[in-house]
Amino acid sequence: MTTAVVELRGCTRDYGAVRAVDALDLAVHEGEFLALLGPSGCGKTTTLNLVAGFVEPTAGRVLIDGEDVTGRPPHLRGLGVVFQSYALFPHLSVRENVAFGLRERRMAAAEIERRVGDALELVRLEPAGRQRPSELSGGMQQRVALARALVYRPRVLLLDEPLAALDKKLREGMRDELRTIHRSVGITTIFVTHDQAEALGLADRIAVMNRGRIEQLGPPREIYERPATRFVADFIGASTVLRGRAVAADRVVVAGGTLHVGGRALRAGADVELAIRPERLRLVAAAGDNVLDARVEGLVYQGAQTEVTARLGDGQRVLVFVGEPAPVPLAVGQTLRLFLPGEAFMVLDDR
Amino acid sequence: MSFRLLPAVAVLAVFAAALAALFRWSLLEFVPGSLQPGGLTLANFRAVLAPQYVGAIRDTVVLSALTTVLTLVCAYPVAYALARTASRRVRSLILVLTLAPFFTGAIVRTYAWVLVLGNTVVTWPVPMLFTERGVLVGLVHFSMPTMILILAAALSHIDPVYERAAASLGASPAHVFRRVTLPLSMPGIVSGGLIVFAWTLSAFPTPELLGGGKVKMIANVVKDLGLDSFNWPGAAAFALLALALTLALLTLVGRLSSDRAA
Repeated sequence: MTTAVVELRGCTRDYGAVRAVDALDLAVHEGEFLALLGPSGCGKTTTLNLVAGFVEPTAGRVLIDGEDVTGRPPHLRGLGVVFQSYALFPHLSVRENVAFGLRERRMAAAEIERRVGDALELVRLEPAGRQRPSELSGGMQQRVALARALVYRPRVLLLDEPLAALDKKLREGMRDELRTIHRSVGITTIFVTHDQAEALGLADRIAVMNRGRIEQLGPPREIYERPATRFVADFIGASTVLRGRAVAADRVVVAGGTLHVGGRALRAGADVELAIRPERLRLVAAAGDNVLDARVEGLVYQGAQTEVTARLGDGQRVLVFVGEPAPVPLAVGQTLRLFLPGEAFMVLDDR
Repeated sequence: MSFRLLPAVAVLAVFAAALAALFRWSLLEFVPGSLQPGGLTLANFRAVLAPQYVGAIRDTVVLSALTTVLTLVCAYPVAYALARTASRRVRSLILVLTLAPFFTGAIVRTYAWVLVLGNTVVTWPVPMLFTERGVLVGLVHFSMPTMILILAAALSHIDPVYERAAASLGASPAHVFRRVTLPLSMPGIVSGGLIVFAWTLSAFPTPELLGGGKVKMIANVVKDLGLDSFNWPGAAAFALLALALTLALLTLVGRLSSDRAA
């Protein structure tokens, strides 16, 4: 494996008594698009600020291209940052905003002119060059911020919730655009978000963060299909977590029924937690292996599917997405027979 | 007109009456040795265009401009600290240090400066007391708290994310200040500058006491004319002239700076 472009080694950051980032290790590779995903307060933005140099770690080192940059001020780190609020300078035109970093690098005027033109072309904003940022829409401001951060070809691009301030429609458009730009520029990118759809759709790898630590780091499909912890299973997508007791290496008793569970070998007699995605459960007519009965408690019709909340015999709650039109009429209080495929179970780490 | 505006009209009428009285006096003939004025004349305006009076106006404008610039330079760092410190204690300390001297009142404070500038506390390499330098020191000190508060208000409206953004783009702290913080604080610089400039034009006790009769600003000349020579018509004419000039200057400065800020 090549050296990491960005590496955090045992980074901890305290704010008074609060530990925002806790002994974090992370390596980001050349050209990679890495998402830091987690709820607010999980330390993802602090992690980004550690890389940018806006905050210094209380303990640990920050490396860029193998070089220790801990303690080096942000203006000497040569990174590009897109802020959540964009932070476009209100007293400068769009072109002057984009040229800011090139001026700091004392480039010749003609070279600046050319590069600014190229960068604005990349984000399709050539005609807006003379305008003030306040005259642009949110989506356009976002693209100016991106052009400003990319124009001097930084080693790493840092994005702090870049889509959060946009409305839904624009956000989806911008997401595609971000992916396209990342592909054409090929720049190593770290991206902070609390939106799992954004992370799943954009990132090469996702680091799911919770309480200042990385819970799981891996490609989107792995994070979604094989969440390592209960937190990840809860945070990414909807899921039902069932508690049961293993009776054999591949069998778990839940609510009086026996479930065959694929994947990893279980220790007989151990309490285990199984997660399952609501779209994987199916309604069946007959009792059998991996079939549990549940009483319907709530129905939310959503057009393409209905979200069914039901309770098992022992009171554990299950979430089921039933595709519409439903095979049987659904009603609160009725008993449904649910098939839980063994290969769909995710065995969670004991924590 | 609405009756609700009546109280305002009543108050404003008093101000208008005072201005009208000033205007009337300026057009009456000065009879030396008498407090009773003569008939209507324009002679007062001709008289106050004499070199010593015009000189006082020039000195006043120069002193006010210098005061404005020096106050800006001295107040900016304090205002920046006040706006950006996270510590309540530091904020209180700055406010106490800058505001406390002003609770002592203009006369006591100015006499304190007489002691400081008069080589009793500090030995100055150049004469300070009863010179324009000394007056300038007093005027700057007087203007500092207002300027600090105005600049701090402007600076606290600048989101620190702009400074972070500039740093991320490669700007050193000095460049961040010159290219981002300073231009974004222009509205505060303009309004603080205008206020200090305007009130320094009409300064009285500071030049009176620290100038020791050797430094004459407009208000001191008005007092000399009116209370020493008992030339009330002359004092009124000079005051009106200075008032017109002040308004013209402020309009000019205001227009220039709003063009720059836009």
